[in-house]
Amino acid sequence: MIEVEALTKRYGNFTAVRDLSLIVRPGEVLGLVGPNGAGKTSTLRCLAGIIPATSGAIRIAGYDISTDAVAAKRALAFFPDEPRLFEYLSVRQHLNFVARIYGVRNHEEIAQPLLEEFEIAEKADQLPGALSRGMKQKLAIACGLLHAPSVMFFDEPLTGLDPLGIRRMKNSIRKRAREGATIVLSSHLLHLLEEVCSHVLILKKGEKIAHGTLADVAAQFSQGETGVNLEEVFIRATGGSEG
Amino acid sequence: MLNALLYLRLTSSKNWVRSRVRRLRQPKYALGAIVAFAYFYFFFFRNLGRTPGTRSLPPDASPLMDAAAAGVTLPTDWLPLSTAIGAVMLLVFTLFSWLVPARRAALGFSEAEIAFLFPAPIKRRGLIHFKLVSSQFRSLFGAAIMMLFSHRWTFLGGNALTHAIGWWFIFSGLSLHFRGANFTLTRLTDLGFGAWKRRVLILAGVISIIAITLAQLPEAERMPAAADAFDARPFSQWLLTLSNSAPMSWLLWPFKTVIGPFLAGDTRSFLLTLGPALAVIVAHYLWVVRSAVAFEDSAIEHAEKRAARMAAWEAGGTRGSVAGAKARRGPFALASFGRPEFAFLWKNLLSTWPYFTVRIGLGGAVIITASLLWIGAHPTWRGLLPGIAAAAGIFAAYTLIVGPQFARQDLRSDLGHADIIKTYPLAGWQIILGELLTPTAILSGILWLAILTGTLAVHPLVMESEWLTGTLQIVIALGLAALIPLLVVLQLLVPNAAALLFPGWFQTSRIRGGGPEVMGQRMIFFFAQLVTMVLALVPAVALGSLLLFTLHVFIGPIIAVTAATLVMAVVLAAEVGAGIWLLGRRFEHLDLSTELRAS
Repeated sequence: MIEVEALTKRYGNFTAVRDLSLIVRPGEVLGLVGPNGAGKTSTLRCLAGIIPATSGAIRIAGYDISTDAVAAKRALAFFPDEPRLFEYLSVRQHLNFVARIYGVRNHEEIAQPLLEEFEIAEKADQLPGALSRGMKQKLAIACGLLHAPSVMFFDEPLTGLDPLGIRRMKNSIRKRAREGATIVLSSHLLHLLEEVCSHVLILKKGEKIAHGTLADVAAQFSQGETGVNLEEVFIRATGGSEG
Repeated sequence: MLNALLYLRLTSSKNWVRSRVRRLRQPKYALGAIVAFAYFYFFFFRNLGRTPGTRSLPPDASPLMDAAAAGVTLPTDWLPLSTAIGAVMLLVFTLFSWLVPARRAALGFSEAEIAFLFPAPIKRRGLIHFKLVSSQFRSLFGAAIMMLFSHRWTFLGGNALTHAIGWWFIFSGLSLHFRGANFTLTRLTDLGFGAWKRRVLILAGVISIIAITLAQLPEAERMPAAADAFDARPFSQWLLTLSNSAPMSWLLWPFKTVIGPFLAGDTRSFLLTLGPALAVIVAHYLWVVRSAVAFEDSAIEHAEKRAARMAAWEAGGTRGSVAGAKARRGPFALASFGRPEFAFLWKNLLSTWPYFTVRIGLGGAVIITASLLWIGAHPTWRGLLPGIAAAAGIFAAYTLIVGPQFARQDLRSDLGHADIIKTYPLAGWQIILGELLTPTAILSGILWLAILTGTLAVHPLVMESEWLTGTLQIVIALGLAALIPLLVVLQLLVPNAAALLFPGWFQTSRIRGGGPEVMGQRMIFFFAQLVTMVLALVPAVALGSLLLFTLHVFIGPIIAVTAATLVMAVVLAAEVGAGIWLLGRRFEHLDLSTELRAS
């Protein structure tokens, strides 16, 4: 579960996220949308404990990320938009390294199915330099899933994946949610959010514009129309302008 | 078309300078620039306008040139000799350009240049001209820098301008020659002329020229036999004769011509050398333009590899080229449970050379021990021991002080992965400790070998000493060995602290070719490291010395050294522990997005 109360993130005089509160429960997939510069990445990074919040409280799986960071981080996984891999660790060595960091005993038994699920088992002894962008992304995700996190943050999870990879990724996210994981993902691909997310949060200039189930948010901006898709909702909610 | 390309180059250069001037508003760059300019001023520019002092020459020095007024006594034939030596050096340089290359001509285009220029309606010759103009910028810059050095060599004569122009001729000649050779070799490869065949033929050709010249020398001018008293004159005379005799003189002629303006001692001889030097440059230019081959494919491949190298470097990579790197076995079996800090040791050892292993370290220790015991046992070679001991001491000091700048398999290499590392369920101090393990292990291993060398080299020299007994020597060596890892961690804490406390500064100091302000930043970092190290050592050394001198009187040196080592180790360990904890706290609160935004 993710609990956020009055989260604010400032960079000097610039406020990236303002007074954001939300709760994401196990099994829910929250889609974070907003124009460029809306504060999506800052929000995700604060939730994952990568950057400190200026004010507010964040609890991950019941642990306060600022006072009990280690316990909170043991429960979460963060998947950045650009896979950050160690150039001189092979695919298998990445999983070995992460297993030691998280203390995942018998990690081979978990790693092999993950490698096969993401179709990188054949590349297990290759360095990241020999992998395509999509494969690197898959490896980063496999590393994040190794310790079976109960809370997951995805920043643009489909970037660089081929059509089959996109389908598998969507299935993977849905599967983890069904298994009880709490998931937040940020993406500009609104059709992805429609397919995968149970809830949506629209941000603009760091502020919450709308939050709720897809149906609730659609209803809020449909102005009585039926069959309004998320793209239309997004344009109406953000006024069709940047930031 | 060339105008557009020239515009691109000039505008890029202008904007590069502008951006650097503009960022001097930020204190970190301003301070770096002040330090760098102060360095340049005091070491180079201060004497730039001055003419060499005139000192009255001794009466028997009449055949010497005015340059001797600077205090350097040169033989009358120094100019032709210098020309010959310089020409031989250039010949060796250019020989490399014919022997080494195994890849096709690529011309070194960047990815952006390829993206914009290759699809543009520009002839291949236009692209070559663009690169030639670009290389002229480098030649001019190199000439200006080298002039700052050579202007101090007053015995050369000439002035700052003639030196700068002289260097320009040398750099331009070399640059054009490298390109021409690259094109010609690519043509030869296309004709089925293999690399090894080419290398053998070129070497055979050069050796034949030298052999024919030697064979043709008259008996009286053959190579002088070694005399008891060292005298370089007969040898230099022989070298001069060799360089002036055909066919060697034909081979060296272009090189002597290019070097002429630089070595010209006065305006008249400078002007006289300009024409022939210019002719050589023009001939090289025509050769390059006419021998041009298709370079587009190899240029793209070269640019991609370079971009990957740069990306790896900026991300903190340390193992050289990423392209072509292969996975290798871990340095040790990493179990999936246990102290997580060792995972960083394991990972970072994989990022460096594979030679840093316990097995190689022990092998080195065995070789050092066997060699020094053998040397110590042979009176003929025993005289080498003081030199070996001194060299080991200097090497150890150098490794301790400068080593942390090179062994960067720590947080400095992982700063690009900070966002991922921050999601690990580890306390900050655990991450810092883990990150410091690899460079500590590497540098400690090297320093232990240096201590072993020094101890074994000193031992036979002081065997007869009453106070420095064999046991005491071993105790001192073991004490030093025990303190080494702590000293190394202490040294490593400083650059890692710099990376954490000033990530913006640190990131910019990693950029290559960043300008004088970045050079100044690096100087500040290094100076700060030295000062911090001295300050951190003061309490440990003070307490250790006090204990050593006190206990030495009452109990004896062995226990005194042991106790002093223990106390120093405790003090250093406390400092290291505090440093790691503080850096860990800093890492936990590090907001890279803010820090790098400010840079």
